[in-house]
Amino acid sequence: MLFFLAQSFLRAQTPPQISPAVAAQMIMQPQPPASGPPVEISATAEFDPPVVGIGGKTFYRVTVNATQGSIRWPDTVSAPPELRFGNDVRGQLSLPDGIKVQPLTSFLYEVTPTATGHFTVPEFLVDSGWLPVTIPAASLDVVTTNTGLVPSKILMEISATNLFFGEPLRIRLVPPPDPANRMLFIRDMQFNGGALLADRLSTRFGTGPVDFGGQLKQVLTIETVVTPLTAGTITFSVQAFVGFNQADSAGCKFLVSDATNIFVRPLPTENELPGFTGAVGKFLADVPKFSTNQVHVGEPIKLKYNFHGEGNLTRYVPPEAPLSHEWQVIAGNVGENTFTLIPLTDEATSTPAIPFAAFDPATGNYYDLTIPAFPVTVTGDALPTQISDWSSGDTNSVTLQLGTLAKLPGRSAPDLQPPQMRAGLVLAQILPVFAFFILWRRDEHKRFLEANPEIVRRRRAKRDLRREINMWRQAVTQGDADKFVVHAAAAMRVAVAPHFPADARAMVCSDVLSQFEDAERNGKTGETVRIIFKAADARFADSKPPAADFMAMKSDVERVLQKLGEKL
Amino acid sequence: MKKIILFAALLLAVNFCCASSGNFFEDGLAAADAGSFSDAADDFGKAVKQDVSYGALLNLGISEWQCGHAGPAILAWERAQWLDPLDSRAAQNLRFARETAQLDAPELRWYEKTSAWLPPDYWIWISGAGLWLMAGAFVLPRLLRRKKSGAQQFLIALGFCLFVFSAAANYGAASRAGIGFVLKKNTPLLLTPTSGAEVISTLNAGEPARVQRVFGNYFLIRTEFGLGWIERGRFDLINPR
Repeated sequence: MLFFLAQSFLRAQTPPQISPAVAAQMIMQPQPPASGPPVEISATAEFDPPVVGIGGKTFYRVTVNATQGSIRWPDTVSAPPELRFGNDVRGQLSLPDGIKVQPLTSFLYEVTPTATGHFTVPEFLVDSGWLPVTIPAASLDVVTTNTGLVPSKILMEISATNLFFGEPLRIRLVPPPDPANRMLFIRDMQFNGGALLADRLSTRFGTGPVDFGGQLKQVLTIETVVTPLTAGTITFSVQAFVGFNQADSAGCKFLVSDATNIFVRPLPTENELPGFTGAVGKFLADVPKFSTNQVHVGEPIKLKYNFHGEGNLTRYVPPEAPLSHEWQVIAGNVGENTFTLIPLTDEATSTPAIPFAAFDPATGNYYDLTIPAFPVTVTGDALPTQISDWSSGDTNSVTLQLGTLAKLPGRSAPDLQPPQMRAGLVLAQILPVFAFFILWRRDEHKRFLEANPEIVRRRRAKRDLRREINMWRQAVTQGDADKFVVHAAAAMRVAVAPHFPADARAMVCSDVLSQFEDAERNGKTGETVRIIFKAADARFADSKPPAADFMAMKSDVERVLQKLGEKL
Repeated sequence: MKKIILFAALLLAVNFCCASSGNFFEDGLAAADAGSFSDAADDFGKAVKQDVSYGALLNLGISEWQCGHAGPAILAWERAQWLDPLDSRAAQNLRFARETAQLDAPELRWYEKTSAWLPPDYWIWISGAGLWLMAGAFVLPRLLRRKKSGAQQFLIALGFCLFVFSAAANYGAASRAGIGFVLKKNTPLLLTPTSGAEVISTLNAGEPARVQRVFGNYFLIRTEFGLGWIERGRFDLINPR
């Protein structure tokens, strides 16, 4: 028998992976209703171990082959006062028996003896619903020395004692060693005492060597995951039936583990990211898959997303469907990890990002796992290209239709800015008008000068006077007396000519003198003019008069020319 | 040798790029003929960015309409009509679109209606010609020492009339630059230029409006439903600023 079991459980010394669904079937067997009174209801009672040292611990175990609900178990068990009974733990096992289900209910008390001796819990009756059941007597010997016998317990190993709220806690359950070295199995386990959520789907069976007091033994273990549901210190233990034959209640024992404490910290409220639904662990997001990237308005797009990693993946709350004006987002069924996205408008250019975040207990921080937006082309509802227009008063309809495509680009422009707003173009339109205006003004001026020739003469005289004065000054600089006289006389002639009007060359000394007042004419000014003209005229005489010191007259001549210039 | 081959390949690549970038209009026609109006709209949009032409705008409108985008289609045809009102195809499409979508055309003032008879640049040149005629008829006979004549008086009057009339049309063309159209369906008209503003009304795609002011990412527009703010991406002018 052992060989047979070893063949089935010890394959290549690797833990056999049982699918979560199968594990759930094994663990979460439904409690069948009692279909009728069992043919024979029997009960057993025992102390485990039957001999214990004073102050040691033993278990008082009662097993009845009836359903737990049908048994009216007394609140207290009548026992000698030297035996201190703790709280009871109870559990039920259902085993198939042909077409029926055979129930097995166990009650377990932790008993601490306070005195030595032989103690007996007397037999007593309990009501099983149909028949009274006699619970047989059980005896315990309490001795003064440690007997070395320990009660059978389930060994519970936990992955952490300090964790965050919602952080999964991995638990390994090991059955006690069997004295006959048989492979024991654990079933119908149940957690007692703490606010823990057991993840049945992540329960895995396995085999492996376990050290029992320095002796390695191959045992069948169970690994499962629980999630703390409250913050603070949680004390819990596990109860289960342990046996060596899954199909037979014979040899099945109801055992408990020692109580264990874990400390659960609340999740930090600061820096919580949008989309956090309670996922705690280290996750990675797979690339989301979209069924298409081109849809019409109203057509659904299927989005498949997935996360992998370590954490409460089997029990995490999936991302919530975001609200969007452009999309209707429908979350898939639990466990499907899908969204259905329906575009409501053709203005949508990408799917909405679906916020999601998780908490990493290792770093104590939230991190982002948002499903990103995905670019899509949404085609709108097609608009008609032809309609019938019923004009008022007419009974006949006029068909309007969309025009055809232009085959040539046609008229073009650099941009659509109104030319009226281009300053350059407006200026270009106005410039010719300015040209006309300037021409018109020039013509007007020309006409004016034609009507007033004295202005032209005076202007010309001024110009000639400037030229003669410049030449006279050059003669002064050079000390050339002849040129001094010639240009001084010429300047005076030019300056007085417009007053007559006459040609400058026709002017004589008296003409120049006539431009001055009598006092000036008879004074120094008149004398200067006369000397200059006399000297100028002497060039044409046969006998030259004695040369005067013309250079000394420079200032007098300059004054005369200045006066004549002012009269122009 | 290797360098020459590389240089030749580079030149070919550049030529190919230039050629392909210059054929958006043709690409758009090909896409539209193949029934891919979404691609055609993209191509005609690029063609319009490259060179604003009547044909590209007309075809852009048709492609957008076929894609179900009434707002951008109406805007494209309005732009085409702005560019060349003498070509009636855009006007026919606009009439058809407005009948289909039950939309109103923008209400134009008399000088704006006048400006819509001819392309806007025509009015500028008419105005300039009127001014030149008036000034020339006034100045040139004087310059040429000719006597005043009845013809000269007529030409001055004609130039003056042309200038005054076209000035009104020019003003109308500039005024029409403030008209725009709603691009997207169910566009909210907001009470204030803020994202969380109260919605006054909801506008249909292709609805006309006049811009009164611009503030940040919002236009203050006047529609037949009243005055309100609209997001920049949901509205565009005939003459984009």
